[in-house]
Amino acid sequence: MRKIISLFLVISLSATMVFASGNSEKEASKTSSNDETVSVMIWDPNQEAGIKEILADFTTETGIKTDIQIVSWNEYWTLLEASAKSNDLPDVFWMHANSALKYMENDLLLDVTDKIAQSDKIDINNYYEDITELYSLDGKNYALPKDIDTIALWYNKTYFDEAGLAYPTDDWTWDELIENAKELTKSDGSVYGFTLKNDNGQGGWFNMINDANGYVISDDKKTSGLDNPNTLKGMETMQKLLDAKVMPSQEIMSESEADVLLGSGKVAMATFGSWMLSAFKQNEYISQNCDVARLPKDATTGRQSSVYNGLGWAISANTPREDSAWKVVEYLSTKEAQIKQANLGVTMSAYKGTSDGWVNCAPNFNLQAYIDMQDDMVMFPNSKSGVKWNNAIYDCMKEAWMGQITVEEACIKGANEMNAIIAEE
Amino acid sequence: MAKKGLKNLTQRNTFMWGWILVLPTVIGLVVLNLYPMLSTIFQSFFKTGDFGRGNTFVGLSNYSKLFKDKSFILSIGNTLKYTIIEVPISIIISLVLAQLLNGKIKGKDIYRTIFFLPMVVAPAAIAMVWKWMYNSEFGLINNIFHISVNWISSPSIAIFSIAFIGIWSDIGYNMILFIAGLQEVPTDYYEAADIDGASGFRKFYNITIPMISPMIFFVVVTRVLAALKVFDFIYMIISRANPALEKTQSLVYLFYTSAFVENEYGYSSAIVVVLLLIILLITALQLIGQKKWVHYN
Repeated sequence: MRKIISLFLVISLSATMVFASGNSEKEASKTSSNDETVSVMIWDPNQEAGIKEILADFTTETGIKTDIQIVSWNEYWTLLEASAKSNDLPDVFWMHANSALKYMENDLLLDVTDKIAQSDKIDINNYYEDITELYSLDGKNYALPKDIDTIALWYNKTYFDEAGLAYPTDDWTWDELIENAKELTKSDGSVYGFTLKNDNGQGGWFNMINDANGYVISDDKKTSGLDNPNTLKGMETMQKLLDAKVMPSQEIMSESEADVLLGSGKVAMATFGSWMLSAFKQNEYISQNCDVARLPKDATTGRQSSVYNGLGWAISANTPREDSAWKVVEYLSTKEAQIKQANLGVTMSAYKGTSDGWVNCAPNFNLQAYIDMQDDMVMFPNSKSGVKWNNAIYDCMKEAWMGQITVEEACIKGANEMNAIIAEE
Repeated sequence: MAKKGLKNLTQRNTFMWGWILVLPTVIGLVVLNLYPMLSTIFQSFFKTGDFGRGNTFVGLSNYSKLFKDKSFILSIGNTLKYTIIEVPISIIISLVLAQLLNGKIKGKDIYRTIFFLPMVVAPAAIAMVWKWMYNSEFGLINNIFHISVNWISSPSIAIFSIAFIGIWSDIGYNMILFIAGLQEVPTDYYEAADIDGASGFRKFYNITIPMISPMIFFVVVTRVLAALKVFDFIYMIISRANPALEKTQSLVYLFYTSAFVENEYGYSSAIVVVLLLIILLITALQLIGQKKWVHYN
C-alpha cells in the first residue's frame, strides 16, 4: 500500500511541476516585451520568400522576431477556425473577404482603429478604400489592407505562332476568345484552346457576369444575382465555351489545375489572378512561352471588368503580444514595405501608386494588363456565409460543366440554393 | 485460514497493481475517446453557431435533414461498397502471401519487408503518389500503357481505383498477422494429412484456415472498422470539382466537409453518429456470426 501511495505522490508532484512550468512560461511571455516572437500565418507558399524578406527587414529594424507558418488554402481555414475556437489564434494572420465578416462579428480580430489613428506611419486613405472596407465593421477597422488583385488572360505565344494567329489584343471580345480557342484546339486532344474550371468564379465566370451588367450578389448582400436576366446573358458566353468543346473535360480539369495545364502546354489560354505571378515567374516553360493580356470584353455592353479583391493583415483579439503584433502589421503596411512587396513581385500592393515596381518585376510579361484591368473593377462578391454559397453554386456549375444541365439551369438552381443559405445567416 | 488470507492479500495486490498499470490508458480513453464521443452525440441535436458559440437545440431535425440529403445516402453506399471491395480482397491476397512466405523460400525476409513497407508510409504520402500515377494526362499508368482512362475522375471506376490503393497498403499488415497465426499451427496436422494423401489446397482449406480462424476473425473485424472509416485517400485524391465525388465520398469525407469546410458542426455530428450506429451493427453481426466459423481450439 505504501508503494502505491508513494507512486501517486510522485506522479502528482511531477504533474504539478509540468503544469506549473507551463504557466510560468505563459506569464513570462505576457509581461516581457523584448525577445518575444510574433507568430504569423499565411496560406500562399509562392509569397513566402518575399514576405520573409520583408519580415527580416522588420526584425533588423525593431529587434522583434517573427515566426512565419505556411498552411495551404484549404487547411488554413480549418486550422484558423479550430484555433479560434480554442482561443489560440496566431498573433498575425491573413484575412480574406469570404470569412472576414464572420471573424469580425465574433470579436476574434483586434480592433485597430485607434492604433491606426495614433500611428505616424499609417494613413488609411493611402489604401484602396474598398479593401479597407472589407475588413471594417460599424466604422471600426479590423485589418490593414495587404494587397489588391485583378484578373487577366494568359496565353501561350508559341501555340498562337504555330496556328498563325494574332496574339490577344486589349479589346478582344469573349466571342473572339472562343473563335481563337477553336483554332488552337487540336483534334487529337493534345492541346485545348482554353480552360476554366467550374469553381473558378473570381478568376473566371464572375467576370462574364459583371461584363454583362449582371451581378453575383446584390449590393445589400441579401439576394443572389445569379438568376438576374443580365447575369444569364453574360453566362451565355460560358454556355458557348462549353458547347464549342475547346476546354478539357471536367475530369481532366478536376485532376490538374489550370496553372499545371498552362505550364505543361496542355492549354493555350487561361485566366489567372495577379497573385499567380510569383509562381509563373519561377516556371521555366511559362516564362519562355507565355504572356498576359487584358481579359476580353462583352460585345454588347462593351464592359471589360475584372473582379478584384485584397487580403488584410489581421491581429488576433486575444494575442498576449498585442504591441509587437501591431508593430508587425504596421510595418507591413508602411509605404516602404508595400513598395518592396510590389518590387519583389510578391503581389500588387494595397498602397495606392505602388504598382510601377510590380509591373517591372517581370519584364518578359506584359503585367500592365493587370493594372489596366483596374479601370473597371467589381468587388469580389462576399457575405457572411460566402464560403458556403460559393461551394453551393460551384456544385451547380459542375453539373453544367459536365453537360447534365444547361448553364442557365445551373444559374437558376444556384440562385435558389444561394438565397436559402443567405437567408440562414 | 491464514493461508487463505495471504492468498486474498496477494489477489488484492495484483488487482490494485493491475488497475494502476492500466490507469493511464483508461484516462486516455475517457478523455480522448469517451468524452468527445458523448459530446458529439449531444451536439448532433443542436444547430451550432459560429465558432461553437450560441448553439440552439433543434431536436432531431439534423437527422431528418440527413435522410433527405441525397449525398448522404450515396455516401453510405460508397462506404459500404469500399468496405465490400477492400476487405475481402486484401484479406485473401494477404492470406495467400502469408502462406507462401511462411514456407522455406529464399530471401523471404526481403519479401516480407517489401510487402510491409506501405504500412510504414503515411497514408497522405501514399495518396499523393497514387494521385499522380492515376492522373489521366500526366500519370505514370496511362503513359506506360498508352491508354486514356480517367482512373480517379470517372464516376464508374474511381471507387475501385481508391479501393485498390486501400488493398495495396493493407496487405503487408494483414500478412504479418497471418504469418504470426500460421506459425502457431502445429506441424503434426500437416504430417497426418500428408499420410492421408491430402492435396495442398485441401490442407490449406481444411487445416490452415480453421486453425488460424481466430486471427482471420480479428483481422476481418479491425479491417472492416478501418474501411468504414476510410477518409485520407479519398480526401487527398478526390477534389470537390471531381465528377466522381458523389460516387466516391465516404461518410467520414462528408463529415469532414460539413464540419470543417462549412462549419456545420451539429449536422456533421449527426453524420458520425449514424456512422457509429452502422459500425456497431456490423460489428455486432460479426460477433454473432463468428460462432459459426471461428475455432478457438
